[in-house]
Amino acid sequence: MKTHHLSFSRRAFLGGTLVAGAALIIPLRLPTAWAQEEEDPLLSHAYIRIGTSGQVTFLLPTSEMGQGTHTGQAQILAEELGADWSSITVGMPNKLSDDYRIPFIGQMRSVGSFGIRFWHDPLRRAAAQARQMLTQAAAERLDVAAAALHAENGCIVHADSGRRIPFGDLVEDAMALPMPEDPTLRPDSERTLTGRKVARLDTPAKVTGKAVYGIDVEREGILYGAARLAPVFSADVESFDENSVSGMPGVVAVVRVPRGVVVVADSWWQAKQTADALDITFTQTPADTLSTDEIDEMLRQGLDRTDVPITTLRGEAEATLWDDGQVVEAEYSVPFLTHASMEPINCTAESTEERTELWIGTQGQDIVRMTLENAMQIPADQFFINTTYLGGGFGRKTHGEIALQAALASRAVDGRPVKVLWAREDDVQQGQYRQTMMCRFRAVLNEAGQITGMRIRVSGPQMGREYGIDPEQRAQSTGNLANFDPFSLGGLSDMRYVIPNFVVDHAVVDLPIPLCPWRSIAHSFNGFFFESFMDECAAAAGRDPLEFRRSHCTDQARMLAVLDRVAEMSHWHEPAAEGISRGLAVVESYGSYVAQVVEARADDEGIQVERVHAAIDCGRAINPGQVEAQLQGAVIDALGAAMRQKVTIRDGHAEQSNFHDYPLLRIGEAPAVTVSIVDIGSPLGGVGEPGIPPLAPALANALFAATQQRIRHLPLSDHVQG
Amino acid sequence: MTAFTINGRAVDVTAEPGTPLLWVIREQLKLTGTKFGCGVAQCGACMLHVDGEPVRACVFPLSGAEGRSITTIEGLSEDGSHPVQQAWVELDVPQCGYCQSGQIMSAAALLARNPHPTDAQIDDAMSGNLCRCGTYVRIRAAIHRVAES
Repeated sequence: MKTHHLSFSRRAFLGGTLVAGAALIIPLRLPTAWAQEEEDPLLSHAYIRIGTSGQVTFLLPTSEMGQGTHTGQAQILAEELGADWSSITVGMPNKLSDDYRIPFIGQMRSVGSFGIRFWHDPLRRAAAQARQMLTQAAAERLDVAAAALHAENGCIVHADSGRRIPFGDLVEDAMALPMPEDPTLRPDSERTLTGRKVARLDTPAKVTGKAVYGIDVEREGILYGAARLAPVFSADVESFDENSVSGMPGVVAVVRVPRGVVVVADSWWQAKQTADALDITFTQTPADTLSTDEIDEMLRQGLDRTDVPITTLRGEAEATLWDDGQVVEAEYSVPFLTHASMEPINCTAESTEERTELWIGTQGQDIVRMTLENAMQIPADQFFINTTYLGGGFGRKTHGEIALQAALASRAVDGRPVKVLWAREDDVQQGQYRQTMMCRFRAVLNEAGQITGMRIRVSGPQMGREYGIDPEQRAQSTGNLANFDPFSLGGLSDMRYVIPNFVVDHAVVDLPIPLCPWRSIAHSFNGFFFESFMDECAAAAGRDPLEFRRSHCTDQARMLAVLDRVAEMSHWHEPAAEGISRGLAVVESYGSYVAQVVEARADDEGIQVERVHAAIDCGRAINPGQVEAQLQGAVIDALGAAMRQKVTIRDGHAEQSNFHDYPLLRIGEAPAVTVSIVDIGSPLGGVGEPGIPPLAPALANALFAATQQRIRHLPLSDHVQG
Repeated sequence: MTAFTINGRAVDVTAEPGTPLLWVIREQLKLTGTKFGCGVAQCGACMLHVDGEPVRACVFPLSGAEGRSITTIEGLSEDGSHPVQQAWVELDVPQCGYCQSGQIMSAAALLARNPHPTDAQIDDAMSGNLCRCGTYVRIRAAIHRVAES
């Protein structure tokens, strides 16, 4: 029997940095090895697998939650490998390893719009390694120089003689060859599968109901779990009476989990009816009286604090306090938001003392693993995680609490599979919100109407603590202050305008409400704050919003490029159509620049957005069709949030519960969205998130243009009719 | 025991009275293309056809299915060849895709009764289907594409 040759590098260049421990494993697999997968952890993960049948399978490092990352990553791999695009399959590994971890996060995690921009180089390198091994095997077989061969459509081709050998026929020989450490990448002229619109691989399954999301996972003998959790975030179970639901149909077990119980039954409906009927009391906490008014007051006090250290300083701090120019001041705020993925949070688990296997649509495989490791002492080698499609993620599906609930429920029923599914009400009310924030600006403008100084105070919680980051430790390792949290200040502390004297600080207000990043994280609110305030400054200076911005970023080629493109798209320099007012904003986030112009009909009664123009510079667009889709979707997503969404707190718990009081935008409210991709040779940027931040300020700026009413507090529905 | 036809197949199922049809077809009949989104007829992820009419399965009691003919996304066509599905593929409509079964079922019902809907009619017929990914721009375009073909 042939033994499987595994060659891999324990040191690899990832993102230009030499990272110890990160390996690129690309075994060229024999089909017989697939059955041994679970016995051999090294074999259970591999970016590229090629069977002797020629079947090419890519196991990808990023979860597919709608952002199109699987198609984009597969394009990168298939192009470099020379695979036959029509015959590849994609999946994800069920065993975690460093190959799939983003080194600077140390986790397998689908966040930060990293899917393409981070993985592009490592995936490309792995594909080049595999191609080179197959090519070498073919060179030896054909007795020609490897340089005379090339890979295309799943074959190694000798152009001079017209001979072609399918990849599958070369697998066994290739496996015996050493893996090249420094493979040669294809020249740009051969990069024909990326940079063009390619149909998504998952669309056929998603229009026929065949795509499997976490909620769809089927296992032999499966049971269903519904949760009953403490409504106050810091509360736990005081007591519950199992007898109160004895005799309810289908009930198998009532399982205690952190902060609540899970009822396990033969059907989810039975479990849900029982969970609702259960006699349960929760502990009292100091947060039981917490309200949005109280939280707002805490944040307002934060705005006034005098003991807050400066986190970002450019130029002279004093210059931002001068009064010998035109002074513009304003305060802004945003509410808590929930993620409201269309697929409510769920997980299926089979868990025994020896082995735990999960099926879950997650963005945070390692967080799920660590949650179970900490709570149930499940070691890594007994942990298997099958990542399904996610019915939306938006940041929320990075957490592990649902996996713990499912694993505990499975343990309680002797390891049978249990699918725990939260009702929409749980999904909305169980926290992990985008944080509420307030922001106070002060700008000093000179006679030419240029900003000479700006001082920004933010007040609110630190999102960074959700990443388990200890502020003091981070301060020591980065040299920054403890109140410098990029997950709260991104979009302010690193903004690109030239403002000679610039100060940012953050009055940290800890709240007993669990937080979780929401699509575009801090930029989701700082983009609104900053770009609205830039508009205020432009108005105070009596200058055109576009010209004002351009004059403050004359050395920023990418910013200018998207501004000029969106100006062109929206005919900014011509008068708007009758009854239409326009608002502009530009935000850099996640490595990309996006400028948007909102065209709206607005008066003192309400606002109707007719069209949004969006220009993005994300470097080379791997799949322009999906860049367009992400921008279209982000505009509509952000518009729904800006118009009407908020989570408010009363008596310590969320007041909203379902889509009737946490409304998403509906189709009739969706504007036309035109997208343009700017290519000026920039490095690869993210695409999933950067379309969000400019929308809210562009919308508020359009409303101001129409009515001279400045909206400084979201959502708009608190002030005007949508 | 409730007897009905689903995707052309006659079935008999048993569940507590009042159990929404959604859970019966997902858990007992293993047709998981119809999704759970809200449970209160707000989002349309569970849209299917009962005797050709669009119905939200999350609030449709099993008892109401007696003797009726039900079509789910799995039964809209055998192979994804329904014109609405094809238009969805051609325009790459889905992102996360979770709401798309419901969107497609609503669109198919609309086009069956009105082969050439206006934007306003599309907005009206599709207003019960939420999409957090914001695919509405392409949904509207895909419905027009079916109408034009």
